[in-house]
Amino acid sequence: MIATRSPVVRICIRAASPLAAVTGLYLLFAGHNQPGGGFAAGLVFGAIIALRTVAGLQRPEHATGIMSAGMAIVCVTAAAPLIVGNTLLDQQVVSATLPLLGKIKTGSALPFDIGVTAIVVGLIIALLDGLGATDLAGPPATPAEGTTQ
Amino acid sequence: MIWTLLAAHVIGLAVTAAAGRISMRAALRTAAIAPAITAAWAISQLGDASGDIAEVVWVDALDIALRFRADNLAVAMAAIVSGIGALVFIYASGYFSSGAKSAVRFPVSLLGFSAAMLGLVLADSVWTLFIFWELTSVTSFLLVGHKDTDPATQAAARRALMITGGGGLALLAGLLLLADSNGSTSLSDLAPVSGTAATVAALLVLTGVATKSAQIPFHVWLPGAMAAPTPVSAYLHSATMVKAGILLMAVTTPAFTDVAAWKAVGFVLGTASMIWGGVGALRQRDAKLILAWGTISQLGLLVTLLAVGSPKAIFAAIAILFAHALFKATLFLVVGEIDIRTGTRDIDQLGGLYRTMPLATLAAVLAGLSMAGAPPLLGFVAKEAAIEAALGLTGTEKALTLGAVVFGSVLTVAYTVRFLWTTFGPGPDTAVAPRRWAMTAPALMLGAAGLVGYVSLGWVNPIVISAAAEIDPKADVYKLIAWPGLKTAFVISLAILVAGSIVGALAARRASPAPRPVGATMADQSLDGVLVVAKRVTARVQHGSLPVYLATVAGTATIAAAIFLTSFSTDHLVWWDQPIQLVLAVGLSIAALAGAFVNSRLGAALTLGAVGIAMSGIFLAHGAPDLALTQLLIETIVVVGFVVGLGHLNRVFPTVVDTWRNIRIVISVLGGATITLALATAAANPSGTAPIDALARESVETGGGNNIVNVVLTDMRALDTFGEVVVLVTVALGILALANTRENTGTEQ
Repeated sequence: MIATRSPVVRICIRAASPLAAVTGLYLLFAGHNQPGGGFAAGLVFGAIIALRTVAGLQRPEHATGIMSAGMAIVCVTAAAPLIVGNTLLDQQVVSATLPLLGKIKTGSALPFDIGVTAIVVGLIIALLDGLGATDLAGPPATPAEGTTQ
Repeated sequence: MIWTLLAAHVIGLAVTAAAGRISMRAALRTAAIAPAITAAWAISQLGDASGDIAEVVWVDALDIALRFRADNLAVAMAAIVSGIGALVFIYASGYFSSGAKSAVRFPVSLLGFSAAMLGLVLADSVWTLFIFWELTSVTSFLLVGHKDTDPATQAAARRALMITGGGGLALLAGLLLLADSNGSTSLSDLAPVSGTAATVAALLVLTGVATKSAQIPFHVWLPGAMAAPTPVSAYLHSATMVKAGILLMAVTTPAFTDVAAWKAVGFVLGTASMIWGGVGALRQRDAKLILAWGTISQLGLLVTLLAVGSPKAIFAAIAILFAHALFKATLFLVVGEIDIRTGTRDIDQLGGLYRTMPLATLAAVLAGLSMAGAPPLLGFVAKEAAIEAALGLTGTEKALTLGAVVFGSVLTVAYTVRFLWTTFGPGPDTAVAPRRWAMTAPALMLGAAGLVGYVSLGWVNPIVISAAAEIDPKADVYKLIAWPGLKTAFVISLAILVAGSIVGALAARRASPAPRPVGATMADQSLDGVLVVAKRVTARVQHGSLPVYLATVAGTATIAAAIFLTSFSTDHLVWWDQPIQLVLAVGLSIAALAGAFVNSRLGAALTLGAVGIAMSGIFLAHGAPDLALTQLLIETIVVVGFVVGLGHLNRVFPTVVDTWRNIRIVISVLGGATITLALATAAANPSGTAPIDALARESVETGGGNNIVNVVLTDMRALDTFGEVVVLVTVALGILALANTRENTGTEQ
């Protein structure tokens, strides 16, 4: 694959990864009041993972594990209001004043969004695995003459 | 109490499964406990049921509830289902040799059936009835297919499932129609219905009855189901499951009294089955098949009586229902014992069993005479009631009913005499293995029950009367009479016995070859035909070509969108709101055209990416940053995905046949134009104003967020989101499964 042979691409992707991760986190937390949200955050994380995959860099492996975790979070968030007698998926808003951050307001929508993010990330990893992306990336040392036949 | 009993069955299932690992016998004896407890409860309630209702409501607005009701009829049926059930479990523990395989599946399925049947007889709502109805079909399938390596058994099990399960669907439709016109899903307070919907409902319910209770032309599954082990035949296919249709017909009778089709179709079905079943029983040589055809005949008699529907006929039907369960189960148990101890069920090879198997003979004669309607047995008084009921009618109905009942009864006597004489009477002595008490005792008990019932009619009468009164309150003036004296009905009974004995004796002398199962073969062939057609249709529709799928989707969308074009006018076309939209649109069009004409796959992927990015620019210009952001991210990932996927493919597209290319161009152009115009029309003719203010207010107040889109996704419409993520997970699992398959089969692409 091109990316594994190009140091420039690899270094760029490696450098961009943390920035993109921060962007993803920002979208996740800002989503309730500004553009963003769990789905968008999941896509950003997914994009980094996809890029890292084609560049042959390290990336999370276990699609099913991540998806199961996400599904569990979503289910717990959905069912939790039932325990206290509210309806399914009822939203609880919490606000607190924290040191450094000041007054923040959040709610049960946040864990729900986190779950959605995890599911989207899991889906993208599954897609990449399904397409055999890791095989394509191959070990960087291999001279990839004519890999695309 | 009902919950406790059902729970006992569920616990019983777990314990039986555990005991099955030790041995088949242990499992079967364990499984007998829950039905035995239930039978004890039901017998204590006989004739004096509380009518208690036990229910769990699931969807209140749709009246979807699991509801049971312990009325007199239900309790009497429960006593039969669980009482015979407990005895059959004991019997089965003798029937199977101790080293029998499938020691878990069989006892668990049989107990599962017992629980399902209990639920069915106690059911008081349409939903509950349907669920347990289908559960009995499924467990019956598992039990019939016990010998799962034999192709004939497989075919028989499949046939039984397809016919009874399919009938269940007709039943569901019928019951829903009935519930709709009655305004309640409850089965205990059905008011008479009339009109077209009622007729359709009656016919659908009758279809359910005919499939489950093996009425012509759906009877073909029952003889095939004799491939099951004999305890199953005795329990499911004579005493209980086939009675489900009769019970259903009885329960719904109050609703359909005014429906002419109910009576007419029911009468024809019933009399045809009664006579054809009797003829079939006279022609068979396998003892089990004789009994199976006899069951068809007897069920036909019950359907006839219920279709007639006079209080006396209903009373007689209930009496025969109980008597039949006792004597037919006994006969099956005896045949099973004969099968195990002699190794054959062919009546031509059997003979002289009265010497070698005296106890089995005693049980069989008691049950057989009860079936023939001879005194002093329960079958006699029940048959007497049926003749009385026919005599109580007037005009043509009387003539037809009486004629059918008499003719059917003569056949019944005939095949009973033939069966008893050729099997137990003098003849070549068959070699017999030692007795197994676990088999003999239940048969004797059930056989003796017919005699005990006759002797203690004073105890039986209130049970039958109260059960019949649940269907028609007017039925409670009748009772079973032990010795009617020289009345018309009694004379007819005697004449039937004499005539039937002569026919039976003649038939017993003739050794005719067993008839071929023509109906069953036809049923199998039509089923196979359906499967062949289904395969062909699937191969046509699901051809696996992605371009054809896309063209189909796009073509369909075009046709759907074309509806809007009728109200299109040129005023609807607004070229742009802001100039930037024009710039983006031009860029988008160029990219799209380039994508259509470019030859390399990578080029196509990149141009598609450009289209998507321009599209997100248009979203942004329209003031939808969330949409734009998501679109942009999706495009990024899709392009990376393309790059990854293209690694497996050729660099350039394969050449396409010209006609196919032209079709695709036409669909694309037409689709693009139609959908553009349709969207313009739709946007210019809104059906109302968008509730933006309400959404914004609710978003801030209850959702605690300023981004309406996200609050809608995570709060107001969170259930939709929930459903969507479930779809995402499903898709991901599907992709992983496909990827695994590819790795396992070792084929690329």
